Amino acid sequence: MSRRHVAALALAGALGWAGVGSAAAQPIRQQLPGGLTVLTRENTATPVAAASLFVRMGSRWETEDDAGISNLLQQVLLKGTERRSALEIAETAETLGGGVAASADLDYSEIRATALARNWKAMLELIADVALRPTLPAAEIDGERRAILTALRSQQDQPSSLAMDTLMGRVYGDHPYGRPLLGRPAALERIDRARLVAHHQRFYRAPRMILAVSGDIDARQVMAEVARLFADAPAGPAEAEPTPAAAAARADRTVIVKPSAQAQVLAGFLAPPTSHADYAAVKVLATALGGGMAGRLFTEVRDKQGLAYVAGGAYASRLGPGVLFTQLGTAPANQARAEAAMLGELERIRRDPLSPAELARAKGYLLGEFALNRRTNARLAWWDAFFEALGVGPGFAERYERAVAAVTVEDVQRVARAYLSAPTVVTLGPAAP
Amino acid sequence: MIPSIGRCAVGVCAIASLLYTLGGCVTAPQAPGSRQGLPAPIREVLPNGMRLIIQEHRAAATVAIHLWAGVGGRDEAVGERGFSHFAEHMLFKGTETRPRGFVERDVEAVGGRTNAGTSNDYTFYYLLLPAPRVAQGISTIADMVLNSVFDAAELARERDVVFEEVRLTEDNPRASLARQLYTLLYQGHPYGRPVLGDAADLRGATQETLRGYYKRHYVPENMALVVVGPVNPAEVRAAAIAAFGALPRAGYTRQPLPPTVALHGVRARSVERPERQTQLGLAWLAPPLGHPDMAAVDVLGHILGGPRSSRLNQALRERARLVSGISGWYGALQGAGAVGITAQLESGDHEAVERGILAEIRRIQVNGVTPEELARAITASEAQREFSRETVEGLALAYGRAETTWSLEAERGYVDRVRAVTRGQVQEAARRYLTDSYARLAFMPRGRAQ
Repeated sequence: MSRRHVAALALAGALGWAGVGSAAAQPIRQQLPGGLTVLTRENTATPVAAASLFVRMGSRWETEDDAGISNLLQQVLLKGTERRSALEIAETAETLGGGVAASADLDYSEIRATALARNWKAMLELIADVALRPTLPAAEIDGERRAILTALRSQQDQPSSLAMDTLMGRVYGDHPYGRPLLGRPAALERIDRARLVAHHQRFYRAPRMILAVSGDIDARQVMAEVARLFADAPAGPAEAEPTPAAAAARADRTVIVKPSAQAQVLAGFLAPPTSHADYAAVKVLATALGGGMAGRLFTEVRDKQGLAYVAGGAYASRLGPGVLFTQLGTAPANQARAEAAMLGELERIRRDPLSPAELARAKGYLLGEFALNRRTNARLAWWDAFFEALGVGPGFAERYERAVAAVTVEDVQRVARAYLSAPTVVTLGPAAP
Repeated sequence: MIPSIGRCAVGVCAIASLLYTLGGCVTAPQAPGSRQGLPAPIREVLPNGMRLIIQEHRAAATVAIHLWAGVGGRDEAVGERGFSHFAEHMLFKGTETRPRGFVERDVEAVGGRTNAGTSNDYTFYYLLLPAPRVAQGISTIADMVLNSVFDAAELARERDVVFEEVRLTEDNPRASLARQLYTLLYQGHPYGRPVLGDAADLRGATQETLRGYYKRHYVPENMALVVVGPVNPAEVRAAAIAAFGALPRAGYTRQPLPPTVALHGVRARSVERPERQTQLGLAWLAPPLGHPDMAAVDVLGHILGGPRSSRLNQALRERARLVSGISGWYGALQGAGAVGITAQLESGDHEAVERGILAEIRRIQVNGVTPEELARAITASEAQREFSRETVEGLALAYGRAETTWSLEAERGYVDRVRAVTRGQVQEAARRYLTDSYARLAFMPRGRAQ
């Protein structure tokens, strides 16, 4: 057991947690000569393995002209390689006792797989095949494009996701984080095979890739196998990072009229990136406000007033500007009252400091959630790759836990005043109130 | 992006009960190939009929404490529709000695999690806690299930929360489709009634009637406590006996379920919805938990509509491009089961999709399944078992559900039953159950319903 592991246990010990099962506290981090970063974690608790291949590609690098191209590429990667057809990719994954999937996000894109541990080599071979040798067949591009356009339409049909997408657009303005992850229909219609091939060549380069593996595996064997499998991954050049349009919250109120049984009320604010010194304090703030069933919103809006089933909020972790949002769903007749209650809580947390019990509850909940969220091998691999992609590194979990433990009532009030000054509000309901 | 912070898992559970279950709702702890096999769980029936299941799981840092009660939508008489679920909400609203919200505050302050769920056959409550707090957790969950007060003012407020939950479900087309498909398939049977209940009955619920319902069903012979984690079984046992051992037997026996009503031909329904996408659901009556055909039907559901390589996904999504998503599932309840297929598709294509689904079923009925398909289904079942052991709550859920609606032993031996399934049995199951008598529900964009 490393000394850092001991330190983490001592910290978590205050809450009674004893680390994350038998997994090591930190992964082993290595960089291959071509620039690929590899994170391995030996976890003997169950005979399974999981891997996440992150690529620094996603909305952050897209424009209105190609919005959605990263997600489309990720879907088509699974539709054929030089060695396998789409059906063979699916069958291979299932034969290993797991699955393979791909998706794009704001700051990264991911290919992830799981398998019974005895099949870890074949699992990594499948990921390397899909990532490095896709054929991107034209017919499959059309099929996936249609599926994504359908998914976009059904998101627009869902009151809660339409309201959330609208809020993100209003909070982020022209920044790429303000666009739906799946992209824009007009841009998707334009993307042809040549552009998809070019996108793949631009981003699937060793220095842009992070591979995290967790499970009942031998880290040295994994490293040797990864070096072999990714030996022909294209190297640099490391391209200059984009400078996206500045995020500028509208701080206004948008009313969407749409038939629905429930009215939705959301409020959002720009917040610091994950690497920022205020990150831990804003996490505690968001949790005191809207995390769990004992946060202020749940207690006031649901428990005391019975105005909602869902009432809460969260602070999303980003490489660039983060977002803190609150959200509730209520009967259309109660919308005005519920909105006033939510905005009242956002005002109150700036005015009145948290009680020591509220601070303790928020910290306990936050650290507990973090520990509970890092138990399965799939989650462990994801978090390891995520911290690397956000540039905060393998020791981040422990640093973050220490920072949360150190947050004071005054810190929470300071960040509440700094970041929650002007809400951007979105409401959705069957008729304008 | 949207935080999952709802208390009641009815939405979740109603769907979970529809989920295809190859190893999903049925997992067993023994893992011959594992480096750290788990010891067998300890099962004990206390003298008052209360059941206690303890599973040591040393690799975990967390303990899952589950309380399962044999009460759900099927147990509600006329005038009580929705009481199981409403009562579940009220158990978080204060006990004789502790105020509203104490469970959430105590659990969340130590970094734990709590929630509950109600389904047709059962209601369950859980606490997920740092392992050293296990005894305290057992005492908390016992206080909830034995001493809740059902304060009248709290009850009035919480009723509005339940109505919000109903509205939330209505706005979600996939959750609504699953719920209404059950209603159509199980017409005239308690499983056809929505677990969220009847608005008039919920409005009519009083402190007296709802508390009476709770007192009647939360009795020792109708409850099971399941504890999974790095625990000392003797300590857990002592805490459980201290909390539940003194309760008297109530002489409770659960009302038996009536048989399901067979379908004759296609029972079809179309519903107009605000969404632009069409949703199609087909469902057949299938064997209940414990039936000899259960494992074969489970494998059939997997091959037909489980993973990416499944027949329906390949035929209708990948080749014909008629649907944007399609899945098949086998939902086995205590008194009946269902095989269902749900698909999301573009408007106008629903007849072609239904024909395509029936053609794939017909292919399996005539030609059977391949050895590779069977092998992959068995591997999936084995893998599901291993992955479910990564968390203590995965095991606690499987044990609690099995103890309440089936049997712990059958659950633990289930993967072996899946391993023994033959291709002939899968083909036979397709012929026996996926007949031309089924329920069909379509959600159509406004103006297009027939």
